[in-house]
Amino acid sequence: MTSPTTVQNSQVQQTQRKYSPLKEFWKSFKKQKAALLASIFIGLLIVVAFIGPYIAPYDPFEPNYEALLEGPSASHLAGTDEYGRDIFSRLIVGAKISLMVSFSAVFLGLILGTILGLVSGYFGGWIDKIIMRSCDVLFSFPDLLLAIAIVALLGPGINNVIIAVMIFSVPSFARLVRGATLNAKENVYVEAAQSMGASHVRVLWKHIFPETMSELIIFVTMRIGTAILAASGLSFLGLGASPEMPEWGVMLSSGRDYLGTSSHVVIMPGIAIFLTVLAFNLIGDGLRDVLDPKIKNN
Amino acid sequence: MSEHVLRVTDLETSFTRDKKEIKILRGVNFAIRKGEILGLVGESGSGKSLTSLSIMQLFHGTTGKIVNGSIHFNGEDLTKMSESAIRKIRGKQMAMIFQEPMTSLNPVLKIGKQLMEAIEMHLKLPKNESRHHAIQMLKNVGIGRAEEIIYEYPHQLSGGMRQRVMIAMAMACHPNLLIADEPTTALDVTIQAQILELMKKLKEENDTAILLITHDLGVVAEMCDRVVVMYAGQVVEEANVFELFASPKHPYTQGLIASVPKIGDHKEILDSINGQVPSPQNMPNGCKFAPRCNQAMSVCHEESPPTVNISTTRQCSCWLYATKDVKVNA
Amino acid sequence: MPNSILKVENLKKSFQIAGGLFQQKQYVNAVIDVSFEIEEGTTFSLVGESGCGKSTTGRLITRLIAPTNGSIVVDGQEVATAKSSELKHLRQTVQMIFQDPYASLNPRMKVKELVGEPLEIHTKLSKAEREKLVLEMLEVVGLNAEHADRYAHEFSGGQRQRLGIARALITKPKLIIADEPVSALDVSIQSQILNLLKQLQQDYKISYLFISHDLSVVEHISHYIGVMYLGSIVEIGRKETIFNNPKHPYTQALIASVPIADPTLRKKKIVLTGDIPNPKNPPSGCTFHTRCPLASDICKQAIPEMKKINEEQSVACHFVH
Repeated sequence: MTSPTTVQNSQVQQTQRKYSPLKEFWKSFKKQKAALLASIFIGLLIVVAFIGPYIAPYDPFEPNYEALLEGPSASHLAGTDEYGRDIFSRLIVGAKISLMVSFSAVFLGLILGTILGLVSGYFGGWIDKIIMRSCDVLFSFPDLLLAIAIVALLGPGINNVIIAVMIFSVPSFARLVRGATLNAKENVYVEAAQSMGASHVRVLWKHIFPETMSELIIFVTMRIGTAILAASGLSFLGLGASPEMPEWGVMLSSGRDYLGTSSHVVIMPGIAIFLTVLAFNLIGDGLRDVLDPKIKNN
Repeated sequence: MSEHVLRVTDLETSFTRDKKEIKILRGVNFAIRKGEILGLVGESGSGKSLTSLSIMQLFHGTTGKIVNGSIHFNGEDLTKMSESAIRKIRGKQMAMIFQEPMTSLNPVLKIGKQLMEAIEMHLKLPKNESRHHAIQMLKNVGIGRAEEIIYEYPHQLSGGMRQRVMIAMAMACHPNLLIADEPTTALDVTIQAQILELMKKLKEENDTAILLITHDLGVVAEMCDRVVVMYAGQVVEEANVFELFASPKHPYTQGLIASVPKIGDHKEILDSINGQVPSPQNMPNGCKFAPRCNQAMSVCHEESPPTVNISTTRQCSCWLYATKDVKVNA
Repeated sequence: MPNSILKVENLKKSFQIAGGLFQQKQYVNAVIDVSFEIEEGTTFSLVGESGCGKSTTGRLITRLIAPTNGSIVVDGQEVATAKSSELKHLRQTVQMIFQDPYASLNPRMKVKELVGEPLEIHTKLSKAEREKLVLEMLEVVGLNAEHADRYAHEFSGGQRQRLGIARALITKPKLIIADEPVSALDVSIQSQILNLLKQLQQDYKISYLFISHDLSVVEHISHYIGVMYLGSIVEIGRKETIFNNPKHPYTQALIASVPIADPTLRKKKIVLTGDIPNPKNPPSGCTFHTRCPLASDICKQAIPEMKKINEEQSVACHFVH
């Protein structure tokens, strides 16, 4: 069927070691020292979130009227609050709540925003205009105000906090993904897939979406930090978790009255929030240095 | 020797990547006489563009440097000169034109300003005289409405016009040597014909030597007096153009000429060369072309071939021609 | 023409470049009244310089863009006016090879996914069956089974172009549109690919629509050619006839402008004056009149019709009969 000359006429290139995208990524990421440290911290936090209730030294809900507002000591690492509850135990259990809320909100926002962004960027035309104008409307509200408005509509509670944070994340994701889609659309291999007869869904999923992933990953990690702050903020305002829950924002709020006398009640959850958000931002920065094609290509 | 405008001897240039020095040019030798058009032919990875950058010493912002050899221009060794001394020569006695005129012309400066900049710097003419000279140069390269063009920006001109402007800039100071790096590759065929005609005309008028770097054998056959063939950072063959095409000696040259489709040839199957150019980090021992050569002998894989004088006008780096009588050290 | 796999008639494509709700609309005519036919198992080349519309014509035939007017019949099916949903058969019968071997292959996909993608789209074969066909096809184009697990960027330009060819071939199309398939390759690699394409045409009886600006390559690989200038075909016919006896002044100048790799054949050139006009502002009448040595008044006023001057050649020029 085939002429021997054709087959023999090409020489196989001597390729060196096999290329693996994961290995390449890890090689670069290892060099980002700050991000690596931050990842370890977050990793530990996630582990704590899962096993928290089992390793907490005290019951986070049980009051102890003999040890009210005690500062940090050997027996209470972070001190006790106005009900004598061990703050350290509350922080550990609170980690689970904070992470769960922010992760869910961000991932839900991610899914919805990505779909909108892909559709908007790929098809253009009136559907693009509708989606983008709607996002513009949402953008015109300051983040927290929007979240407050939504919670005010839906009523307080952790689940509604998730919904509120999700909604105000969607426009950012949509805009980001739309931009990346517009770029990815120009690639010749997208045209090749279309000329092959690939359906729109296939082109978007296999050829365009992977192009948006590196920017998305960076954005998601940064966004989790924002979500934690937003959720804590809402809880602080009394719109989120109920007061007896060990959610970090609630702890900040109820500790407000004791800022002058027993400031550790506020500082401890404050530090927890600060470190967690910082860690996510550092990871995001590290990922950006590794993944962002604009930086990579320099 | 004194009639050579440019004489490159044992030129070796390297780049540094990931803290490792990689040698790209491995001993390049050739010379150009006054008024001669020398073609430097090679495919990607041959090092021909790097040769021209080395001659002009254009390494700013890169890790490239010359690690060996000499470049004698009008008798002086450029590798031993200071940057300021070279700058006086660049643009005046030695000029270069590039493949992409859009990226080598400053997009935010008007054409006239760019032309006059070169003229004022090297010829030290006052402003009105330099403008007159600029218009004259533009007319010389076939741009009829030169008086209007000097007020336009590069993006307003077509590819062919931009290349003419580049040539005008290069020739403005009547250089002894013009280095043209793939000057017509990005142009349409009918425009290419115009530019090549123009270059020939300017060479006649100014007696300028031209180093014409290209991968297009047709352009070489049209334009050049002599040809140097490069492969993997070395010169493999040098001959005058008629000899080279009539009876190429080096197997690479033979393969190259045989693989070019020529109008009127009526070949069913084109010859081709197996394999591909080795990367600079993975150079084979011995002759760099040996892995792809259908005439390779065992010595070819072990030792690098010497440069053999086949005649007074021809040289070839190949073991096929290195007998006891003819063997010569380069 | 018997056994014609593709028949294009009066094809036209205009792009809107300016204007909207309140502005005057402006158009550029990329393809103007193009007609040609391709027989089974033959190669028809569209050759021309920048702005001639050859690439746009290729995209119109695969319906990557929709024609403004005209008819495109592929393997008996009219596709110019077909709805997107009806184009599945077209996309199996006609495949494309692109110019840039680096950009036309998705860098995140392994070779076996890349080459097998058309099968995934058009057939219901299982993953294992697809892989088997992919491995066979890799051998056909001169690569190895061991390449199937690599990524495209691990290959050289010539090898990547072979991958593109394997991908185009895998659904056994009847027509392949090759848009400058060898322009980005080194000369010695170029000849490998051209030989491969010719071999595949013999083995599989594929027709090629070969789009190129390189006349030497076109002369080597074509059976028929069409010369385009600013959106129209100015001369069309059998390759040998046109190269031996070009009638249109543009074709003559084009062939004469090509530098031949033989110094003994240095000839007096027909060097055209002036630049290629911008398609946004084409000259009136015959668009070539601004550079044509034969131009006269009628050329400025009237667009010349395509006239058949012998069995194997047609020309659009007022002065050729």
